[in-house]
Amino acid sequence: MKNRMKEYRARLSLTQEKLAEIVGVRRETIIYLEKGNYNPSLKLAYTIARALEASIEDIFILDDE
Amino acid sequence: MKTRLILIAYAVISLLGLMMLLSRENVYVVLALIIGFVLLGHRELWPLIRYRRLPVIDERVKNNLTSAMRLTGVFFFIASIVLILMMRFNVFQDTPTALIISGQLVIIGIVYVVTYHYYDRARPNLGERATRWLKICLITAGLSLSTIALAIVLHNLISAWFGFEDAFFFILGLLVAPAVLAASLLGSLVIFIKGLGASFRGVEQV
Repeated sequence: MKNRMKEYRARLSLTQEKLAEIVGVRRETIIYLEKGNYNPSLKLAYTIARALEASIEDIFILDDE
Repeated sequence: MKTRLILIAYAVISLLGLMMLLSRENVYVVLALIIGFVLLGHRELWPLIRYRRLPVIDERVKNNLTSAMRLTGVFFFIASIVLILMMRFNVFQDTPTALIISGQLVIIGIVYVVTYHYYDRARPNLGERATRWLKICLITAGLSLSTIALAIVLHNLISAWFGFEDAFFFILGLLVAPAVLAASLLGSLVIFIKGLGASFRGVEQV
């Protein structure tokens, strides 16, 4: 799964640490997510999308799409 | 909150355990435990020292803990059976039992640390084909392990019932099945390392 977390985070001028704090995860988790090394649960994906003021479909993209 | 309470309880029990071990002059065990604790908890220790607070135990950390515990449990089970068989056939000869068990525990500790830190890096980089092969390797490992136990029982039963030395189950249990077990474990390790290597190189999937 690909994602556009970094792009949306930059739009809101959020640091990885700040986003991690808002979402309630560790900064390493944000790094793993942005690099595509970790696939989040639906709950976490929803929380991230809400924090980045976008929909899940905007942030997370399935590879075969 | 529940996780934090568990961690505090774990820390208190560990401290008491360490004090008991120190009072019995088992310094090398204390050292091994401290090294293991630092290796496992270095991501937690730094924020605890610097910011005086424990980092969040999020879903990735929980997943890692569960995966590491599950995989180490399976490894422990397999390693114990292999070790018992090796001791039964006197492979280690005059090596003290405490040393053999210590070696096994150290290897299990390494497996836990490696899976805890790297499983989530390797897993997403495994493609459909690699995941299928990993499953085949692990299932084969489980089957060959069961075959070892079954072949030994059948060999002993045939010898006891019919009074002659059975060769088929002897070869199956002591040569063929262990070789298949070793090959399948090696195969799964290779796939895991490939997935990990791909994650470090930034390759999508292997």
